[in-house]
Amino acid sequence: MIITILYYLLVAYVVFLMTWNILKSKKWQEEVLYVIVLIPFLLRLLRLK
Amino acid sequence: MSMTASASIILAAMVAVYIIAKIFKVSTELSIFAATLAGALVGGAGIPARHIVEGAFTYLDICLIFITATLFMNFLKESGGVAFVVRRILQRFHRRKFILFVLLTVLLLIPGMLTGAGSVTVLVVGGMVATVLGYMGISKPKTAAIVFIIAGLSAAAPPVSLWAMLTAAGVNMPYVGFFVPLMAPCLLLALMTIFILGWKAKPADLELALKELPEAPAGMNWLKVILPFLIFLILVIAGRIWPFSFPIMGLPLIFCGSAVITLALSPKKIDILEVSRRTVHQLLPLIGTLTCVGVLVQIMTLTGVRGLISVTVVTLPVMVVILTLFITLPVSETVLMWGSAPVLGVPLILLFNHIGLDPVVALAGMSVIWPLGDAIPPTAIIGRLTVETIGMKEPYKNFLKYCIIPAILIIIVGTLMVVFSKKLSFLKVF
Amino acid sequence: MLRKISILALGLALAFFSGLSFYRSRHLKEPVVLGPGVTQVKKLSEYFPAIKGSTNDANVYVLEGAKPGGAILILGGSHPEEPAGRLTTWILTENATLEQGRLFVLNSANRSGTTVTRLGGAYPPDYTIRTPWGEQKFRTGDRWSNPLDQWPDPEVYIHYPSRQELAYVDIRNLNRAWPGRPNGTLTEKTGYALTQLIKKEKVDIVIDLHEAELQYPVISTIVAHQRGQDLAAMASMVISAEEFKIDMENSPKALHGLSHREIGDNTDAVSLLFETPEPFLDATRGRTDARLLLEGKDEFVVRAGKHGLLYEKIDEKGWPIDVRVGRHCSTFIQVLDLWSQDHADKAVVMKNVPKYREVIQKGVGAFLHDPAKADPKTVYYE
Repeated sequence: MIITILYYLLVAYVVFLMTWNILKSKKWQEEVLYVIVLIPFLLRLLRLK
Repeated sequence: MSMTASASIILAAMVAVYIIAKIFKVSTELSIFAATLAGALVGGAGIPARHIVEGAFTYLDICLIFITATLFMNFLKESGGVAFVVRRILQRFHRRKFILFVLLTVLLLIPGMLTGAGSVTVLVVGGMVATVLGYMGISKPKTAAIVFIIAGLSAAAPPVSLWAMLTAAGVNMPYVGFFVPLMAPCLLLALMTIFILGWKAKPADLELALKELPEAPAGMNWLKVILPFLIFLILVIAGRIWPFSFPIMGLPLIFCGSAVITLALSPKKIDILEVSRRTVHQLLPLIGTLTCVGVLVQIMTLTGVRGLISVTVVTLPVMVVILTLFITLPVSETVLMWGSAPVLGVPLILLFNHIGLDPVVALAGMSVIWPLGDAIPPTAIIGRLTVETIGMKEPYKNFLKYCIIPAILIIIVGTLMVVFSKKLSFLKVF
Repeated sequence: MLRKISILALGLALAFFSGLSFYRSRHLKEPVVLGPGVTQVKKLSEYFPAIKGSTNDANVYVLEGAKPGGAILILGGSHPEEPAGRLTTWILTENATLEQGRLFVLNSANRSGTTVTRLGGAYPPDYTIRTPWGEQKFRTGDRWSNPLDQWPDPEVYIHYPSRQELAYVDIRNLNRAWPGRPNGTLTEKTGYALTQLIKKEKVDIVIDLHEAELQYPVISTIVAHQRGQDLAAMASMVISAEEFKIDMENSPKALHGLSHREIGDNTDAVSLLFETPEPFLDATRGRTDARLLLEGKDEFVVRAGKHGLLYEKIDEKGWPIDVRVGRHCSTFIQVLDLWSQDHADKAVVMKNVPKYREVIQKGVGAFLHDPAKADPKTVYYE
């Protein structure tokens, strides 16, 4: 149970880092790719999938 | 319209869009994504949000492994641990090529063996090994080839060999009896690779090399470098020895543990947030490709394109199938990565089992060949990662050139294992 | 900045619509209208409280005859993506009556597995069965438990207690988790709870309903633990002579975690596993949708068959769900009849369950009842 919570915290950290990188990015292709990669992490964090 | 006709049209549309996207200088990852969307549209599925995102989930856990493993490595680098190890290895073994090569091979095999991912080998020890090889007079492209080939073999090596495991799971075959059939060829081929490509290596000029290498920070010592790895090993092994009393941690959390230890022991202060942000950025091409490939497999399955490919492959004459494994396996790896195991591995193993080959040894033989695909452009995911990690500036094809001889050896060994799987079934000891 | 906002908005839209779809299919209500034979509806947690409140605290439908006799447990949804198993249990819970003995039915043995679909598999989220009163929807499900209920996976799954190494994903596979572990993962706990049910209720036979791809050698068969060998062989002979061809296979002794091995080894019950053909699971399948799931027609699978790559026949007619459910129903009825003939004191006499031909003739939907018209007290949800 504690381990599962740690995984959600890890996913939250990754979501935070990716969002930060999207905001800092200057290339549109990079931003699109970040968004695609971000979605599964976000939905896992929200416990939707 | 027959399914063959419709799936062929969809596949053609996907290939066309991929090529067009590449012409317009769109990145490989986004070209795959664009081709996938085209497949869904032409296949009459519109923009299937559910399927796109479900596909994107396929490699979520593997992405987490990559992120945490790289985070651990980057922390180790920042702490000065890497520089320390390289200096010490050179000081101790710079005159003894044989021992040095065997040690480096073992060092390269371990991370991939434990995680099933060649990229972890590249990220965890690839850079360090490359530095040592560099000071032995081995060119960057040759070094990259050594690291890449052994990293691929480390991924195929037991105990964790994802191609074998995913295929075995797909045909409801227990993942048992694979240890020797996987270990023997991987170890043998890894040693052959380093000795063949490193044949002309000279003992390094120690003084010059040490002068060029970055200084290790004061306070760094073997314990501080080894402890995080030791923790990693202990946690992985503990899970194996006491699976019923030790909690299931999973590789990402184990890597996090090692990363935390590294931070705690670092003699230098490390900007955790900045290193984390850079790590995610550094990994974007890798996790981006994985995510997009997941979407691709899902849409190919949805539209029947995956079935078309599978059925075409398995209905070819058996001899042709076996003799072309050296093309089909690496190419499927290039396009699908681990997705090639469920897409291609499963029908192939069922076919081999059907004609009386030994499925375990045959699958082990195939698993050795599969990772070669990770060097083939345009995806070339592990190949690109290797080249970037070791800082090779030469054109990519120089690296590919040096991969050819070990690749041929791997192909021969792997194919012979498939052909003579029945006779080699004595290898299935445990 | 506008570009960034647009890209993010597109991503969020994708996340929203997919998330909505995942949420809806995970929470899709599957009604069960209790048939006249159901005397109690228990919870699996009554046999092992540690799973109380979890996704896998499944309904256990109990059907009891007036005359005492033997006890049978039948499991649908060990692998929810094999719908013939679950639909067969629906027919039983909504129609069967018992004259002698007791029958325990689980429509969702691994309920968590019903709430998720296979990554990369392009499964439809649900499928619809047509009935005389309208349509009833079912969750497609997967072979494995939902990661939302059990996360993370280990690098290798080591089966308890045999220590056999299996692919890491199989740690979420109920049919690799038998006999279960009380302090294990949710899937292992579910296996343990079911083992407790078998022991506490003194179950005589456990039947695990499955389906298989045609490229898999264990298909159209009854897999039997050595103690169920004679029963399975006899059933296969009688059915093959009277209704359709079905084989019998012995459960391999070295293959651990499967119901046909572990239940037989760890309890007093005889364990049998039924397999029907499901082209939807074949690796060579073409377009993947609910139609393929229910009709079992596929050009590519037929082509693989023409090249001798399959272990079961397939032609343009495919393997419709009615045929597959009919096979399970008839095999179950036959096993009960044979068992009851040989064990008069432990007989289980069941009525009102359609046989193979009747299911094909009327369709599965004919045996499902309208929850809207039923007494709400008799409607349960899976």
